[in-house]
Amino acid sequence: MSTKTLTAIFGHLDCMIDGVHAVKQSGISDFVATSPLPRHDLEEVIYEGRPSPVRWFTMSGAIFGGTLGFSLASFTHLNWPMIIPAGKPLVSIPAFLVITFESTVLWGCLATLIGLIVMCRLPGFGLQAELEDPRLSDDKFGLVVNGLSDAQAEQWKEKLAHLGAQEITVTERDDA
Amino acid sequence: MNGITYGAVTRDILRPLFKPSAAYLGLLGLSLAIMAWGGYCWYVQLVHGLGVAGYQPPVFWGVYITTFVFWIGIGHAGTLISAILFLFRSRWRTGVYRAAEAMTIFAVMTAGLFPAIHVGRAWNAYWLFPYPNQRELWQNFKSPLMWDVFAVSTYFSVSTIFFYIGLIPDLAAVRDKTSGLIKKMYTHMSLGWRGTDRQWRHYMAAYGFFAAFATPLVLSVHSVVSWDFAMSQTMGWHSTLFPPYFVGGAIFSGCAMVITLLLPLSKVFKWDEYINVWHFESLAKMCLLTGGILTYAYAIEHYVAWYSDNPYEWGIFVFRATGEDYAWVFYMMVFCNCIAPLIWWVKSMRRNLAVLFVVSIIINIGMWFERYNIIASSLAHQYDPASWVFYAPTWVEMGILIGSFGWFFTWFLLFIKVMPSVAVAEVKELLRPPLKSDEEAAA
Repeated sequence: MSTKTLTAIFGHLDCMIDGVHAVKQSGISDFVATSPLPRHDLEEVIYEGRPSPVRWFTMSGAIFGGTLGFSLASFTHLNWPMIIPAGKPLVSIPAFLVITFESTVLWGCLATLIGLIVMCRLPGFGLQAELEDPRLSDDKFGLVVNGLSDAQAEQWKEKLAHLGAQEITVTERDDA
Repeated sequence: MNGITYGAVTRDILRPLFKPSAAYLGLLGLSLAIMAWGGYCWYVQLVHGLGVAGYQPPVFWGVYITTFVFWIGIGHAGTLISAILFLFRSRWRTGVYRAAEAMTIFAVMTAGLFPAIHVGRAWNAYWLFPYPNQRELWQNFKSPLMWDVFAVSTYFSVSTIFFYIGLIPDLAAVRDKTSGLIKKMYTHMSLGWRGTDRQWRHYMAAYGFFAAFATPLVLSVHSVVSWDFAMSQTMGWHSTLFPPYFVGGAIFSGCAMVITLLLPLSKVFKWDEYINVWHFESLAKMCLLTGGILTYAYAIEHYVAWYSDNPYEWGIFVFRATGEDYAWVFYMMVFCNCIAPLIWWVKSMRRNLAVLFVVSIIINIGMWFERYNIIASSLAHQYDPASWVFYAPTWVEMGILIGSFGWFFTWFLLFIKVMPSVAVAEVKELLRPPLKSDEEAAA
């Protein structure tokens, strides 16, 4: 079965946000909005303030890293216990704080990087062809709506043109 | 930046890419020649051993450790500007942070050479990294030198990740303006970035976390470097003042180096809209603040040495300022770091590009001498007068020092031709977005 994909190019941010808002309000969930720069207002319309799950990667990595750093320093000292005068402890928290801190930061960042790659689905070489418009990394905003019927495509074409889309194309997509 | 469009930003910032002028090639050739000279000097040391350096007991830290600390210090401004000022939502960072981040990475790469050069047997430098020997004996994690390995390698890793993540949307913009093999290369480098809502959402969240991690890291790295000295029992080093003193100095020298690098860059590439006197003045103010901290630290370390009533501690500070061997180094440091930047208290002087450029170079010279003053004088003048010596660098050490600038500038020159030196997407964030409502109101 084939469906229609509608690609709208906007030159104005407010028109694009109105278009995204209208699509979202209509209950369509299979759409992609692109922008040459991060826009919190656009994110707010689409995700309604829900925070990114990347934070869980970050926290897990940081906890893992901190534990690893402190354990590495502690267990390696316990493995070869040196007799230290004046009752100084083998496992010394102040002395190991630096290693623990650096390891926390390093693993927190590495986990954040993994979280970013996973959540953004990078490398994104397999994204749909409609997103490969060079203007979308320059000065235009794009809205790609997937899974439309013929009638819906016509209806949205008219509606988005009314909302200020400068260019609208409809392509056929074979979902099979 | 009134009246500039998103399209103009992309065009202006990407314009200098790929087309090397004769002057650029000349500069690159000069950098490569200086680097080759440094490489030759290192070769001489590898063949003949550390005897070609000016070391004599008890001075075994000299120009190499001085230069290591100098380059680590230079590497502080980039992540400070990109991370700390990002969290503070400072608007002037946008124009300068990309080049400053690149500078950070290349400076840390340069610094990273020096432990290997310093140990002499460079092929054994990997012993620094945490792994057990055949008897399952690990490095001593209570040693500040081990902390330093962790701090510098973490700083380099995190700064590189932060730099690359920031570049991804801009590499995608370059991809969309190129063709053929170059386009293919940038397609892979940008990881297929398309700026979708999903990508931006997670990108901005991750960017904030990177900035939050990098912020304490910036402050910790030079603190840890300072503990290489402060944790020892050497006079003039064993002080709790060292971490803030070193961090202040690092930011001071780093911001000065950003001015030195970006001022000619902005003029040559005609980027006045994106990097201009406002940015340089802000950097000069950062230098004034951190230079003030540094001057205070110089004064207070002398006061503490005197107030401690420890004749050895006070003796080293008197020696630094009055001894015939190193007094000129001390006064060079005071002039370059404490006196010369004072001119920037005059507004017209910190908005004068020639003054900015000259003073920024003076600061960098002064910051090298500061580290040399700390390291050489303390080691050459220890507790036992019978061990007092005069350490002076040899031509090999100076050759490697000069060569390190060639290495650094080669990387930086290559960077400005293959990557956008100003953040395209973030500069667009500073502009008022194109709005239909504005056009209707104007009509």
